[in-house]
Amino acid sequence: MTGKEKTNVDRRSFIKYAATAGIAAVVAGAAGYFSAPTRTETITRTIPAGEVTRTVTVGGQTVTQTQTVTVITTPTRPPPKPPAGKTEVRIGVLAPLADRQGKVQENAARLAIEEINAKGGILGLPVKLVVADDKLSADTAVSEFRRLVTAEKVDVMIGGYSSGVMTATMEPMAELKTIFLADASSPAHARKVGANYDKYKYWFRITQNNGITFALDGIEQIDYLAANGVKIDKLYVIRDEHIWVDEWEPLFTDLLKRKNIQVVKSVKIPRGYTEYEPLLIEANRLGAQAVFNMLAISGTGDVLAKQWSTLKLPLLLMGHDLAAIDLGFWQSTGGACEYEIFMADGGVVQTAPPTPMCKSFIENYTKKYGYPPEAHQGYGAYDAVYLYKKVVEEAAAAGESNPFDSDTLVKYLERYTLGNAIELTRKVAFYPKGAWGADGTRWDHDLVWGDEYVKNWVAQWQGGKQVVLAPAWLKNADLKLPPWLK
Amino acid sequence: MISFENLVVLLVYGATLSGVWALISSGFTLIFGVCRLLNLAHGGLFIAGAYIGLSLIKGFGLDPLTSTVLSMIAVGFIGSGVYTGLLMKVKEHEVTVVIITLALALIIEQVILLMFGEHGIIFPPILAGVVYLGDVPLPAMRIFGMAIALAALFLLGLFVTRTRIGREITAASQDVEAATFIGLDVNRLFIVTMFISSLLAGLGGVLYSQIYAANPFLVLKALIFAFAIVILGGLGSVKGSIVASFIVGYIMTVVIMFLGARWSELFALLIIIAALIIRPSGLFGVRE
Amino acid sequence: MGKKFIEVAAGVAVLAAVFASAPLYVPEALIWILGMSFLFIVIAMSWDLVTGYAGQINLGLTSFVGLGAYTSALLQVTSRLKGTPFEFLAGQTAVPVELSLLAGGVSSALVGAAIGGITLRLKGWYLALVTAILPIAFVQTTYVWKDVFGGEEGFTLPAGLAQTPIGKYYAALAVMLLSLATMLLITRSNISLRLKALRDEPELAESIGLDTVKLKILAFTASAFFAGIAGAAIVNYRQVANNDLYDVPLMLLVILAVVIGGSGTIWGPVVGGLLVYTMKLWWLKGVVYELVSSTGLPINDDVILYAILIALAILAPKGLWPVVNANISKILRRSHIFPR
Repeated sequence: MTGKEKTNVDRRSFIKYAATAGIAAVVAGAAGYFSAPTRTETITRTIPAGEVTRTVTVGGQTVTQTQTVTVITTPTRPPPKPPAGKTEVRIGVLAPLADRQGKVQENAARLAIEEINAKGGILGLPVKLVVADDKLSADTAVSEFRRLVTAEKVDVMIGGYSSGVMTATMEPMAELKTIFLADASSPAHARKVGANYDKYKYWFRITQNNGITFALDGIEQIDYLAANGVKIDKLYVIRDEHIWVDEWEPLFTDLLKRKNIQVVKSVKIPRGYTEYEPLLIEANRLGAQAVFNMLAISGTGDVLAKQWSTLKLPLLLMGHDLAAIDLGFWQSTGGACEYEIFMADGGVVQTAPPTPMCKSFIENYTKKYGYPPEAHQGYGAYDAVYLYKKVVEEAAAAGESNPFDSDTLVKYLERYTLGNAIELTRKVAFYPKGAWGADGTRWDHDLVWGDEYVKNWVAQWQGGKQVVLAPAWLKNADLKLPPWLK
Repeated sequence: MISFENLVVLLVYGATLSGVWALISSGFTLIFGVCRLLNLAHGGLFIAGAYIGLSLIKGFGLDPLTSTVLSMIAVGFIGSGVYTGLLMKVKEHEVTVVIITLALALIIEQVILLMFGEHGIIFPPILAGVVYLGDVPLPAMRIFGMAIALAALFLLGLFVTRTRIGREITAASQDVEAATFIGLDVNRLFIVTMFISSLLAGLGGVLYSQIYAANPFLVLKALIFAFAIVILGGLGSVKGSIVASFIVGYIMTVVIMFLGARWSELFALLIIIAALIIRPSGLFGVRE
Repeated sequence: MGKKFIEVAAGVAVLAAVFASAPLYVPEALIWILGMSFLFIVIAMSWDLVTGYAGQINLGLTSFVGLGAYTSALLQVTSRLKGTPFEFLAGQTAVPVELSLLAGGVSSALVGAAIGGITLRLKGWYLALVTAILPIAFVQTTYVWKDVFGGEEGFTLPAGLAQTPIGKYYAALAVMLLSLATMLLITRSNISLRLKALRDEPELAESIGLDTVKLKILAFTASAFFAGIAGAAIVNYRQVANNDLYDVPLMLLVILAVVIGGSGTIWGPVVGGLLVYTMKLWWLKGVVYELVSSTGLPINDDVILYAILIALAILAPKGLWPVVNANISKILRRSHIFPR
């Protein structure tokens, strides 16, 4: 969009918001006039109206954000009634069910829905779960999305995992105007919203942060080590060759340079690669103190851990490895992953749940299914269901004619933004429309990153368990170094 | 110039990779050379060996060595079972055999995926620990694996040339009709051949998963590489496939060390294509 | 030739009537899948042309699909061409969709001709292996030049085959019918005899003076052309250019479709393609769900598809189409429409 178009859009949306506020005020006033004296809940929130420019620090980077905010006050009113003719609420989950990252979303959503139904449902309506398998295929995902929305009539969609599949799925989402509370870490998705807000605004990333934040989390690991007596000035990087790393490796290397840390070599590996030993030997020879990995697609993080612990070279193993986040990693590496430092995607390590709701979710999930949530996507899906319930109720309480309408709910979801997180199993908030990220691209509707929000905590494998090393308010263990490190 | 350390790494790592590939490709070419069957399920048998072995360890608490031997034998029986059950009747129709074995390979891949997940398994190694050659650390399992692979191939050679069955198999491979004419039970020989080649594949799979890791997608990858190596060596020539394995194994190791890990597989395949274009029947091709 | 021409026209007309009216009685969610299956049929038919008719085992067909797809996609998102030899196109207004389909077909055809020429000396399994490498190389290319191709995440296309899903359905149907008609005409003409000679008795064909070189390159080129068109259509159907489509799984599905349907017939891939694609994306799921939940077996729809393939390979090695064809002929003969 050109600058001029952007200003026109901003102006148009401001007028749109102001008009909406006016109408809402009138409706609310009318509802109040006719209200019956029964139990009421008052939800009042005052937000400064008009254009707000804020300077925020995101991981050491100063980001300027401009929001157009409206005042929505909801006075006392009768318990909100659902729109006439609606008999149930349908929540759709679309994920790769053959993988644990997909299955956990179905399980978590199911648990959430059972709990909600036991307490009377959403607006008094029973909630039904509709599940579909995207089989990690863009075509399947697209046709299943369409089927769930048009044939099964779901009101909201939750799910995703693969970034490539998500890119394709955003098309039917836009066409069918369905809210999609999503997983997948590619920055490209938020950029799509930024580039064409009206088309893609239904997308909100809820399960984990924008992939660019991995660079910031990587720096956090380095800083943590430095603060705990481990000085690193040379890093050897082993990374997936794929695009998801290209998004953040330059930022990471740049931030490292400012700390006078050199990346002695960055090796790209393809999917299924297993010859890590020569790389580890080379890392040692080049004088690196640590191997920083950036792995997800390669699928062989367990081989890396095994070979690292067999060779016992004076190297730390740290970084982002999707395999290390898996609870079964200890078993599958035969304990070789001990001492590996990793990033806990999605902001939850089970030994240190960040909120009380998270703690009870883990307990209830384990009680219902016999094992704890098998992947971090479970927290996102659980949060998504509860968040949806919350915004629908808020919309109904505000007197919206159709509290299930996607365009309406987008605005209510956007209210959970910087400075106003909703505490679910994690503290969830979304970047507003027009937000710019640490890498200078658009992060509209992305999950807010920060110590007080969601972040990939600095974690380590110790004694067969995952522990959190940082931030200080959440940590439950101290750094342990491998004994063979000189 | 190349440093001593690099040279050692190159030689040892290259040899391990080549040895394992040689196990699987020699079995593949043996079946083609003797039974005139293109068994595309061979990659599946390779991986099945690893997963069966792991199940034995997890399910029955066996040690790595015993379960290696047992899974090797189990895969041998599976292979010969496939032949007797599915392939024996249709072995004249090449295309049918290809379709059946390819479908079988894919079924194996999917079943493993469903039963064990996509993330691969690690087999506890028979030998743990590191051996130092000068400054260079070498995992003991690599050296052991290399030794086992070479020993197995050597035994294969002895079997084919020194034992009676071995010589009968050679006869049958050269001329099936003549062999039947002089009273050899060709079918039995074929079953034995399938058993041996599957045995080798299973052993290769178990070794591979101890040095690296096994995952379901290897079913197709191992097939493509075995196929490529066998064609480079010449369809039907065991000697050719062994030589080709070492060529490919070393090319891959060299590329990893000097060009970058991501190019290793592509390079290996491109070199094979180039070799085929220059010499279309492979290095030691058996002409029909 | 006259009778064959009528057969072609009749067949295409029946197909057109059946599918053009489908939106009236088929649920909307399935229309999308049906439309995609038409494009899949085009790919299956083009494979039948090169492998079933001309006997050239081309396992790299999916890379031609991908080539056509990316050509079309890049001609519509020309900004991605910066930094490539085609930079002069960047910044121009996007090429209209129909033209980009044709461009996809042409670019694939050119590369197809080249591949046919390079692999001239290779036969049988050797040819299969070399062509099998092509998709691997192709997918690697989309990773390496990810600024242009978008790697594993891909990029979006602004316009598609049509504005609405129904429109896209009819567009896909049109592409399929046109390709079918063309390929039927090719294979019912004199050229087909020569192609079959190339397939069955290459040495004999040479000795009686057929230019096998030209025939082989022709087969590669023609099948690449249609595969490219199909790829371009697919990418405009989904409006997303992704590299997940051009790998081994698609090739296997194509082989499945052609074998189940019956190779060397062109109609076989139509039947097989429709069956296999809708099976995989739609109706097999229900069956599998029942089976899995009642028995707990480690199976999914792929396993069932492959098991069906094995059963068919043993029981009906020529595929389903010859059976269907024989029955259709029987019915027509009995009704005296085509007395034989």
